[in-house]
Amino acid sequence: MRRIAYLVKESMTNIRLNRTTTLVAVASTAFTLACFGVFLLLYLNLRGVVSSLQDDIKIVVYLHDGLSGQGLSDLQQRLKGEREVATLSYVSKEQALADFREQFPSEYHLLQGLGENPLPASFVVTLAPRFRSSEAVRQWAKRLTTMAGVAQVQYSRDWIENLATVIGFIELGAVAVGSILSAASVTIIASTIRLTLLARRDEIEILRLVGATGAFIKVPYLLEGAVLGAVGGLLSLAILRGGFDLFKLQLGPTGRFLGVESWLNFFPGHVSLLIIGAGLALGFTGSLVSLIQFGRASA
Amino acid sequence: MGIGYTAGKPAGIMIQLFHVSKYYDRRPALSDINLLIEKGEFVLLMGPSGAGKTTLLKLLFGTERPDDGQILVQNRNVARLRASAIPYLRRTMGIVFQDFRLLPKKNVFENVALPLMVQGTSTFEIRRKVTEALKAVGVDHKKDQRPATLSAGEQQRVCIARAIVNSPIILLADEPTGNLDPHLSSEIIELFKVINARGTTIMVATHNPQVMAQANRRVLRLDQGKLVAD
Ligand SMILES: Nc1ncnc2c1ncn2[C@@H]1O[C@H](COP(=O)(O)OP(=O)(O)OP(=O)(O)O)[C@@H](O)[C@H]1O
Ligand SMILES: [Mg+2]
Repeated sequence: MRRIAYLVKESMTNIRLNRTTTLVAVASTAFTLACFGVFLLLYLNLRGVVSSLQDDIKIVVYLHDGLSGQGLSDLQQRLKGEREVATLSYVSKEQALADFREQFPSEYHLLQGLGENPLPASFVVTLAPRFRSSEAVRQWAKRLTTMAGVAQVQYSRDWIENLATVIGFIELGAVAVGSILSAASVTIIASTIRLTLLARRDEIEILRLVGATGAFIKVPYLLEGAVLGAVGGLLSLAILRGGFDLFKLQLGPTGRFLGVESWLNFFPGHVSLLIIGAGLALGFTGSLVSLIQFGRASA
Repeated sequence: MGIGYTAGKPAGIMIQLFHVSKYYDRRPALSDINLLIEKGEFVLLMGPSGAGKTTLLKLLFGTERPDDGQILVQNRNVARLRASAIPYLRRTMGIVFQDFRLLPKKNVFENVALPLMVQGTSTFEIRRKVTEALKAVGVDHKKDQRPATLSAGEQQRVCIARAIVNSPIILLADEPTGNLDPHLSSEIIELFKVINARGTTIMVATHNPQVMAQANRRVLRLDQGKLVAD
């Protein structure tokens, strides 16, 4: 117990000893994690949007006008049997017309001018989750067009696909930026710890002389690095939160109008913890690096 | 373990050196030292400045490695000991450094407690043992002060307290009376005798003739890195 108290006290003394370098180390960790966090925020939010859009993917199967009642129920049975189908609803010609009238009241007279109802009947299909990938949708749509009674199959996927590509790039960017900046912040933390080690070289020597093990000597420095890193992580969260709120504010009414606002979410709790954990790991690694170098130099 | 000692090994060997040499920049600080110290001995290591006294103590304590020869301390080959095993060897030894080696930012109590602290002794035991050691060397009234506020003689006694606090099996002392007046010197020598009487093997490096006269024990003489008299 006393030993633990001693080690914690030592690491706090270290932090107090070189306040400036400590601040630099914390700031650089915060900066690293904030940059990474921006990508992560973008990624998580866009992924949320895409998956909610994918939930919405509807395939509209338009039917031939001349399809008999028997043909219609055959097709319905067949569609119901498909693995891809989650829900299936029938929209009759009359229903289609009524829907059109409701959605575009000013254009309705155009259709009236044509006399006979020109809108086809259709089945609206929502897809089972595991068939929502764009490739699966394309394959299945192709097969549908060959079925008896099917006039045309319509679905919108292009822009969803594009969004998925964008997300791929963001993912790549996050990894690239994350690893470059992580290396930088490990280096900066390592040199902070090195300064402490150099300042306390005599003390370390004395600890060795009175029989301290390597682990006992190292713990305060590892603790120091971990604390610096975790504080950096916390700071980065504060920065990100501030930036996020500011961004939302900037979007203002336009954002609300586009419905963007409801899509934008800050990190859930476990991701925030993960970021602090990442800071802690960076700090710990930085310490370890400088301890290894120091050990080599003093051996 | 070690070399040439299996059957018939005398039970009481504490320290043994075989053809030990140590060089600094190719100049020998110790050359071809052979030595045997038995359990419970009190040995004085004498010789002029630069003779290699400190170097010999450093070899025994594992802070320097010999360039040649073998060193057995408590039947462990210090010359070949793994780095990770050295702390455990040191916990059985106490050393009084010629240059004290006290932590400037810790008070006297904390400095003396250090050897106990690093091995996880309980708070209660630490208080008991540190107080006892400080009383033995007569600086317990300074326990809350930092080393820098103490006289050289007081610092030396704190250093002695730290060396004996752990009830070591071997006590190595490098000029332990270098900063003490004759009266305090003789008190320290008496203290060492008491510690020695309890079974601790003691080796004191000194060029103080008073110590030699008072201790009246086995004397090893070093000159220019060679053992010239035993
Ligand atoms: N770290 C070192 N680097 C180079 N030379 C050293 C080192 N330590 C000791 N020496 C040399 O080794 C020789 C023996 O030194 P040592 O300190 O053992 O002498 P000593 O007998 O303890 O002397 P003193 O009575 O002055 O303390 C000296 O010539 C010294 O200059
Ligand atoms: Mg010396």
